Amino acid sequence: MTQVRTFIFLRTSFMDFYWQQLPQQLVNGLTLGGVYALIAIGYTMVYGILFMLNFAHGEIYMIGGFVAWWVLYLLTGNNVPFVNAGVLIAFMILMAMGLPGVLGILIERFAYRPLRKAPRMNLLLSALGVSIFLQNLVLNFQGAKARSFAVASLIPEGLRVIQVGDVVISFMRILVIVVAFLLMALLTVMVKKTKVGKAMRATAQDIEAAAFMGIDTDRIIVLVFFIGSALGGAAGALVGLMFTQVDYYVGFQAGLKGFTAAVLGGIGNIRGAMLGGLILGLLESLATTFFPATYKDVVAFMVLILVLIFRPWGLMGEKIPEKV
Amino acid sequence: MRRSLVFFVLLVGMLLAFSALAFSADVSKGIKVGNAGAFTGDAAAPCMEIYNSAQIAVDEWNEKGGIKGVKIEQVMGDDALDPAQGVNVANKFVADSLIYGVVGPPMSHIAQATMKIYGAANLTCITTAASKPDLTDQGFKQFFRVNARNDAHGWNCALFIQRELKAKKVAVLNEKVAYCENIASETINGLKKLGVTDIMQDTIVAGAKDYSAVLTKVKAYGPDVLFFVATTAPDQAIGVRQAKELGIKAVFFGTEGARDKKDFIQASEGAAEGAYVYHFAPDVFAVPEAAGYVKKYEAKYGTISGFGPPAYEAMNILLTAISKAAADGNISREEVLKNVAETKGYKGILGFPVTFDKKGDLEGGATYFFKVAGKDFKQVAVMTGK
Repeated sequence: MTQVRTFIFLRTSFMDFYWQQLPQQLVNGLTLGGVYALIAIGYTMVYGILFMLNFAHGEIYMIGGFVAWWVLYLLTGNNVPFVNAGVLIAFMILMAMGLPGVLGILIERFAYRPLRKAPRMNLLLSALGVSIFLQNLVLNFQGAKARSFAVASLIPEGLRVIQVGDVVISFMRILVIVVAFLLMALLTVMVKKTKVGKAMRATAQDIEAAAFMGIDTDRIIVLVFFIGSALGGAAGALVGLMFTQVDYYVGFQAGLKGFTAAVLGGIGNIRGAMLGGLILGLLESLATTFFPATYKDVVAFMVLILVLIFRPWGLMGEKIPEKV
Repeated sequence: MRRSLVFFVLLVGMLLAFSALAFSADVSKGIKVGNAGAFTGDAAAPCMEIYNSAQIAVDEWNEKGGIKGVKIEQVMGDDALDPAQGVNVANKFVADSLIYGVVGPPMSHIAQATMKIYGAANLTCITTAASKPDLTDQGFKQFFRVNARNDAHGWNCALFIQRELKAKKVAVLNEKVAYCENIASETINGLKKLGVTDIMQDTIVAGAKDYSAVLTKVKAYGPDVLFFVATTAPDQAIGVRQAKELGIKAVFFGTEGARDKKDFIQASEGAAEGAYVYHFAPDVFAVPEAAGYVKKYEAKYGTISGFGPPAYEAMNILLTAISKAAADGNISREEVLKNVAETKGYKGILGFPVTFDKKGDLEGGATYFFKVAGKDFKQVAVMTGK
């Protein structure tokens, strides 16, 4: 009898170690997932219309982070903000959306549009070139050191960390989750309910037919790049606020994860990108719970491979029949 | 048969004669020193500090007229933390016959990858930070360190954790590169020898910017001390900040890379208060001989972390050796190597005399421990292995 009891005791205390962590890891995963989702949307929107992978998207995310850093730096003196903290954060995010958005438009205009009739490989190489160019541009002008966001002073002491039972959530994380989901909701509403959204969906479905219907597809493409880049930039700002650091190299990893999330959810499908992002974030956190932390990427990419083997069009993608 | 033998002997003789000529050159042809490091990528900041500090030394020598009237030039070799590129840099340096010594590589895995190349060419390498013990155990004669090895550091850290921090439960997070893996395992071995066996081990990824997942695991484990073995200060700033955010009560203990006022203390915005770090050099601000160097560096490049002073020292040792070798008008790499190996009691800015032992290691390496108090580090202990 005692053997059985000890066995049960050992088992539960073993499980306890993991159960205890689960709520916290879920929160960790959700925040990561929200960020990945925002980046993934940028990839998926561009692919949906142009069937090209915008490799420069990761660097847009990185530039969004730097823009947010500069806004914070310019508007605070000695770590004390000149304006109300809420206004400051909102301004940071808006600037981080606007400027990378414009940058996205410029990239499309000068690096992609001239190559639209060229073989797909050329577009890919151009995107890679833009990515390397942007990375080194920032390295040159901003230096190699990571920049820290002095965000602690923005939030009053009592609100900084909120405790719900065993789970500790920092205010910034809540903010990140809220803003990420808000932006995704706004995008969904725009795509579903507005005329411009309908035009975007039409262009994604069949760009020639849309042109025949009188839709200015060039303008739609510009809009898609703007929105995708704006969301990527917002992700950069949110990550900067949450993890308090940005450096010229973060775009590479983030871009890779965002691209993976987009493919996982079905590349070309916006809701798929959101779902893929969330799943990837949760997978990473849960993988870290049960395996050594360096395997978290292994787990995430293994899941991607498995999904692609058994469902190559992604979780929410559609089987596109070969046009004969 | 006899003719081919004669021919063979002549050939070998010619080759020997040529090789002897190739490695001895007239001073007036020029003097260059190489600096191998990761100048792009995540470790760019400490490596640039190493380069800039060495450049200050070079500039000082040049102001005094150089060596025998010849100005010295420092050549940068970027390996971007990639061993393959490190090998390219090594080949480049070896092929340039005017390069008589190299400061670096500071990363243990790059030092390992390039050891044979520098060794075959007898090109002196003085590293300022590579601390993996077996680098000097392989019998190569051209590799020297101005920093202590990880086996000394690991044991000292274990002593500190057990004796000063009085820990019974320790969590060790390591970054899985050569240096971190080594320090972590040496410390864990030391802790086990000292009777601390309740140790949790896990890994972190450099530059990941988010450690909350693995820190949540640490929180569930509930250790007394969290030994966060990462290479760079920004990563450790995030580590200490997120640990505090998650409510981990353990004492945070970081590595040499975290000994940086701006990138660790300032960047963590107060979360680092009460944290400890270890380092291989005493506080450079407390060493009077270093004042000149400190002033020059801060005026030109900004804040000093722990990586600069040893680089200044290493470059000075190298240039002293080159200058001695150049006294007769001809320098060769072998002469420089001999002079560096004979360095005894060199008094520089590190606050202790530098002597290289037979293997090229620093004699008498101690480990210094600092605590974060307010905006600066305060030295709280020195462990010498006892």
